[in-house]
Amino acid sequence: MNIYLPIAEMSVNVFVFLGMGCAVGFLSGLFGVGAGFLLTPLLIFTGIPSAVAVGTGSMPILASSVSGAIAHYRRNSVDIKMGAVLVAGGMVGSLIGVGIVKILRQLGQFDLFVSLSYVTFLGAVGSLMLIESVGTIRRARSGQAPSARKTGQHSWVHGLPFKMRFHRSKLYISAVPPALIGAFVGFMAAVMGIGGGFVMLPAMIYLLRVPTSVVIGTSLFQIVFVMATTTILQAVQNKTVDVVLAFVLIMGSVVGAQFGVVAGARLKGEQLRFLLAAVVLMVCLRLSWDLISRPSEIYSIGPVLGGI
Amino acid sequence: MRGARAGRAWVGIFAGVCVLAGLGSVLVQARAQGAEAKVAAKRTLPAVRMGPRRPPPVRAPAPPPKAPVEKVEADVSTRSVEVTTDFTGHEILVFGAIDNSQQPDEKSGYYDVVVVVEGTPLPIVARRKSDVAGVWINTSSVIFASVPSYYAIASTRPVEEIAGPRVLERLAIGFAHIKMTPAPGHRWNYTDYELAAFKAAIIRLKQKEGLYVVKAKDGVTFTGRSLFRATISLPANVPVGPLVARTYLFHDGELLSAHIARVTLERTGIERVLHNFAFRDPLSYGVLAVLLAVLSGLLASAFFRRQAR
Repeated sequence: MNIYLPIAEMSVNVFVFLGMGCAVGFLSGLFGVGAGFLLTPLLIFTGIPSAVAVGTGSMPILASSVSGAIAHYRRNSVDIKMGAVLVAGGMVGSLIGVGIVKILRQLGQFDLFVSLSYVTFLGAVGSLMLIESVGTIRRARSGQAPSARKTGQHSWVHGLPFKMRFHRSKLYISAVPPALIGAFVGFMAAVMGIGGGFVMLPAMIYLLRVPTSVVIGTSLFQIVFVMATTTILQAVQNKTVDVVLAFVLIMGSVVGAQFGVVAGARLKGEQLRFLLAAVVLMVCLRLSWDLISRPSEIYSIGPVLGGI
Repeated sequence: MRGARAGRAWVGIFAGVCVLAGLGSVLVQARAQGAEAKVAAKRTLPAVRMGPRRPPPVRAPAPPPKAPVEKVEADVSTRSVEVTTDFTGHEILVFGAIDNSQQPDEKSGYYDVVVVVEGTPLPIVARRKSDVAGVWINTSSVIFASVPSYYAIASTRPVEEIAGPRVLERLAIGFAHIKMTPAPGHRWNYTDYELAAFKAAIIRLKQKEGLYVVKAKDGVTFTGRSLFRATISLPANVPVGPLVARTYLFHDGELLSAHIARVTLERTGIERVLHNFAFRDPLSYGVLAVLLAVLSGLLASAFFRRQAR
C-alpha cells in the first residue's frame, strides 16, 4: 500500500516504514537510546531526502521515548533533577547545532560532516562499550564479583562549582558536567538527527557515575524534551518535518518500544551494553566504508539553499 | 544534500522562480508563435509561385489562393493532476491533430512530431566529489540558475534525426539542449569542458530519479493521416508545479508548427492542507508535530499498560 508524503514529496510503501519504525522502536526500548543513529541512515537508504530524514526522525524518537520514559518513571528509575539539568544544557546545544547545520548545508559539506561525526563517535563509543562489557562479562563468568561502585571516590568532576544534590542518583556533584553533557547531546541531536542516548549513557555511567538503574530512564527523560525542541526548530528553520511519514514510523515504533522495554528488563546491563556496542560498531563500519570507497557517482545535485 | 529546504529565504527564491517561470513560459510561447508565423510565411511563398498563372490584375488584385499550411493542434488528457495521499504517479496523454495533413497514411513517416513536457525551472546546485586523503569530499560545485525540475520528451523517432542541432537548441528539444545556465559568478570559474561534465551529471542524476525521461522511438504515434498521440508518465516524485506541454510538427527537418498546452500539478486534500500549514505557519506545525508524537506515545503507553494487566 502506497502513500504520498506531503513534505518529502514522494510516494512510499507504508509497510516498509511500519517495519522500520517497529525495529527502531524495539532498539529504543531495549537500550534506552533514541535509536536515531539507525533511523536516520535507514530513512536515507530508502530514498527519503536527508534533510527530511533528519527533520522527521526526531518525531518517532520523541514518541517512543515518551512511552519509554513513562514506563521508566513508573518503575521510579528517572532522576528528574538530573534530567532537568541535562535538558537545560540540551536546549542550548540544539540551538547552536541548528545554526551550524544551516551553514554547513549551504557550503555543501553537511553530509561529510555528518558521516565523519557518526564514524568518530560511533567508533569511539562502540569500542569503549565493547571492551568494557566484554571485560565485565568475563569477570562474571570467572566468578569474580563485579567491582562495586566506590561511593566516596573523588575525581576532577567533583572539584567543580555549583554543586547539587541528586537524591535519586545518590550523587552530590557539580551541575556543570551534566549541563555540558546535555548541551553536547543537544548539539548532536540537531546536527546528526539522533537522540544521543548512546553518548549520554556512557557519559553518565563512566563520567558522572550515575547508577545504571537510573541512567536509562533519565536519558529518556532528556531525549523527550530535547527531541521536542529539535522537532519545532526543524519545522521552523528547515520545514523538513513530514508528519505523515512520522506518523507511520510512530505507529511501528510505539509497538516495538513496548517489546524492547520488556526484553531489556530480562537482560543484564553488560549484555545490553555488549549488544548495543555491536550495533553501533556495525553502523560505524558501514559509514566508514561509504566515506573511503570510491563512489559510483561522484556528482550530486540538490536545491540551492540561501540564495544564488 | 540529496534534497533539502532552507528557511524563509528558500520560500523567497521559490516565489522569485515562480515569477521567472511565468515570464519564461510567456517568452517560450511568444517565440514558438513567432517561429510558427515565420514557418507559415516561408511555406506560403513557394505555394503562391506554384499557383495557377493568371493575367495581371486589371483592378483590385485577387486574393492569392489559400495554400495548404499545416498547423498542429494539441491538448492534454488531464488539465490538472491532483497530488493526493494515494498519488503514485499519473499518466497524461498528449494528443493532437495536423490541419491540412498531407501525409498519405500513418506509416508514411511524412511528419515528425515531438512532444516535450517540462516542469518549473528551478535553481540547482551540482557538486563533485574528489579523493582528499582517502576520503571522498565535495570539492567543487556549480549553481545553475534554472534547470527544469522535470523534462519528458516523446517523439516519432530520435530527435537528432528529426532536425538539426541549431533548431533543437533554439527550441530546447532533447537532453543535450535543455536550457541550463550557470548562475552569475559561477560561469567563469570553470572551463567549458568542466561545465559540460556538470550538465551531463545533472541530466544523468535526473534520469536516475526518473525525472528526465525520453521516449525516442514511437513515443509519438499517428492514428490515420492527421491524429497523433503520446503518453507521458509522471512519476510519483514529480515536483509539484505547473507543467508545460510543447508540441512541435516537423517535416524534412523544418519546423512547420508548434503548440503549447498547460497542465497544473497541484496538491489537493490533506496533502495540500499539511503542506501549506508546514510552510505558512511552521511554528504551529512544529508544535502540532510534537503534540502528535507525544500523544501517540502516551496512548500507546496507556494501551500497553492495560494489555499488561
